[in-house]
Order: sequence, then structure tokens, then C-alpha cells
Amino acid sequence: MSALRLLITGLFVCAAATIGACKSGGGFSVENINLDTVVKSVGNLREVKEPEEIQIGDSMAETLLGASPLLDDPELQKYVNGIGMWVALQSERPNLPWHFGVNSSDHINAFAAPGGYVIVTKGMMMQLRNEAELAGVLGHEISHVTRKHHLNALRKSALVNLLGEGVSAATDSKHAELVKQLAGPTKELYARGLDKSDEFEADRIGVVLAARAGYDPYGLPAVLTTLATADPKDNFLSLLYKTHPLPQVRLDKLAPGLATLDGIKAPQNASRFQLLTRKLRLAASQ
Amino acid sequence: MSIPKGAILIRLFAVLLFAIPAADAAETGYTLRATEVKDKPFLDAATVVTLPEKTQVEIVTRQGAWMQIKTREVKSGWVRMLTVRLGSPDQKSQTRGNLLSAIGIGNRPRTTSSSTVTTGVRGFSEEDLAKAEPNPAEVEKMKGFAVTPAEAGSFASAGKLAAQEAAYFDDDGKPLKVKK
Repeated sequence: MSALRLLITGLFVCAAATIGACKSGGGFSVENINLDTVVKSVGNLREVKEPEEIQIGDSMAETLLGASPLLDDPELQKYVNGIGMWVALQSERPNLPWHFGVNSSDHINAFAAPGGYVIVTKGMMMQLRNEAELAGVLGHEISHVTRKHHLNALRKSALVNLLGEGVSAATDSKHAELVKQLAGPTKELYARGLDKSDEFEADRIGVVLAARAGYDPYGLPAVLTTLATADPKDNFLSLLYKTHPLPQVRLDKLAPGLATLDGIKAPQNASRFQLLTRKLRLAASQ
Repeated sequence: MSIPKGAILIRLFAVLLFAIPAADAAETGYTLRATEVKDKPFLDAATVVTLPEKTQVEIVTRQGAWMQIKTREVKSGWVRMLTVRLGSPDQKSQTRGNLLSAIGIGNRPRTTSSSTVTTGVRGFSEEDLAKAEPNPAEVEKMKGFAVTPAEAGSFASAGKLAAQEAAYFDDDGKPLKVKK
């Protein structure tokens, strides 16, 4: 309680300071402060509880899958969930309702949404050589979820005004309302991307999660070396390049930590990956 | 002597597998800087030769931090993965729209050569995202593919994956004892 009070007091001090600075120019006075707005701002900064986080992610996933639906390949979808869940179990949040999917987009990308949603594009799947590489990509996305990168971005940027209002979409109509309210901010966030520091952190955690899952930890770096050959203007990569630091920069940033995982000799599971992704390659070669 | 049915199936399967374009066909790359080639994938292994910057190499396989490579002079050796860039030094502009097939991986639709317009591409571009209408049915479908932790464990065993200890590390590569 006292912490909250301190926070509110602090906010008032800041507000007063700002107003003081404005006073000469704008002629504001302290009487003009709307107490409700301030209290609400504090409310928006409060911790979002896990059930709310899942509801928010669920709603965002509706918009993300609205842009590109799942690929019609149940065997592949199940396979990606097997890898993803196994990697997610190595994280601090093994009990989230993790859901993994491959969408039908030819663009090369992968993304996550709060509460345990991870989507990889078909285009990305086509660029991978083995399961360890996929585990690395999934590990990176899982880290965005466990570290609440998207959730915090929404809260920080005030893209969403309703996070503090006790999101509990218990009824269908409430859920639909949440989806509607989050659609705009979701599109904006995924077009703009996260902070670079979040991406570097997801790389660092991602390789460790893949290593803990028993994979060759150099899967993600191998994917980054593939992506590093790309022309940044390549249309298939435009969104990935816009929303992430350059692959070579990510590799350079990751290198010192990667060295700590050098001693691990672990499988890449190329044959299982080749088998389960054969339909993709068959379809593409026709 | 009769051939067991299973063997026929396995052979058929093998034929099918070979008929599918492999994702890991011969790849090429070049050294980003002067690079020591080792006879084994270890830092303290013997150095076979030091390749100058921009030496073309053929990538045979990857193992952890290492890449097994071949060059015109070196039959087989190991270099650090991060010292090699895929493709060839003078290839950059040709890769547009088709970067990975150029280095022998995968297949994907080509972009038109003159612009960023693509034909017959299903996308997740910025434009596709902007136009997206929420699709609750797809989220339900996605949930239908979820696996339980127990299933994930079996999946891991089938893939000969054993959980390992590995510590998170910070930006400088120093191990983090406790995660925030």
C-alpha cells in the first residue's frame, strides 16, 4: 500500500514539476490536474496478472493469424509444438499454455505474443536446416514471452489504455471488445518492433534454452549466418529487417556469451526435421 | 529368398526421401577474416593452414561452434562458424529475392527483379498486417495442436535429446547466477 502511495506521490511531484516548467508559457495551474487521470496512469503501470496476460496474448494472436492463417499441415504443426514445448519447459515459465504454429506466409519471420503464443512463418521454416536451428528460433521467441517484452512494450508506450482496468474477458462480448481494442496497438507494435535490447536479450536467452533442451546451441547463430547473406531490401525479409538489428550485429553481440556454450556437443536432428518438412519443400519445388 | 515387407517399405521410403530436394545441399561461403583451419573441431587442435580473408570454402557440415570445410587446397578441416559468411564475396547483388537458393538452401518464390512487388506470394508483410482482420477460428485451431509437457518429454526422448545445465549470460558473456 505504502509503495503505491509513494508512487502516486512521486507522480504528483513529477506532474507538478512539469506544470511548473510549463507555467510561464502555457499558464497551467495546479488546479487543472485531473486526479482521475493520474490515478489511472498509476493503475496502468501495475503488474499485469498472468491470466490477463494470456487473455491479451490470445487477443493479439487473433490479429496476427488474421494477417496470415496457419499452414494446413497438421503433422508439421504438431511437430513444431513438440519442439517448442520441450524448449519452453527449460524456461522460468514452463506452466504457461504454450502454443506454437507455422503460418502460411512466404516471408521470413517469427514472432511471439504474450502468454505463450509463438508463430513461425513458412518462409522461415524453408530456410532452416535442422531441428536445432528451429529450436534456436523458438527459443528466441519463447524468451520474448518469458521476459514479457511485448507486454511491457504495450504498457510503456501507452499504446493500450485498458491494461490497468482488470482485463478479464470472461464473456464472449468482453473478449471481442478486447480483441477490437488491441488490434490497432498489435499491428503498430509488430510493424515497429521491440527495442533492440529486447532482441539481443532474446538471442542470449534463446541459445541457452536450446542448449538446456539438449540441442546444439549454435542453431540460432547458424540461422543468423543464413540471414546475414540477405540483401536488406529483399521483400521477403523487409519486416524482419525493419524490426530487428542486422543479423551480423546480432551475431557479434552474441559471440562472447556463445563461447560459454562451446563445450556442448549435442544433436541437431537434421533427419527428423527433413522428414517433417518434406511437404514444404515438395510444394515449393513444384 | 523373399524380402520382408518392412524392408521394401523402408527402401520405398528411402527413394522418396532422395526424391525430395534436400535442404542441406552443398553450401558455399567465404572467410570474413584470416582464419585458422584445424584438423579437429577444438581450439587446441592442430592448425592445418591459415586461410586468408575472402577465401572461398565449401561447407561440409556444422557441429556446435565449428564448420567442417573444404577448399581447393584443403581436403577437410574445421573453422569457427562465425568466421565464415555464406555465399561468395561478389554475390551480394545477385541474391536479391532468391538469397538462399543461391547458396544451395531451400526453395522459395522469387520476387520480380525490378521492384519489391511479388507475385503469388502469401505474406506477412507490413501491408498484410495492416489489413488483418482478427481470426478467432485460427487461434482455436492453433490451440488444438498443443502438446502436454509429458508429450514433449516423449518427443525429446525420441529425438535423443537430454536436458542439460546451461547458465544464462549477460551482454559481456559473463554467466548470470540468478535470473531477474
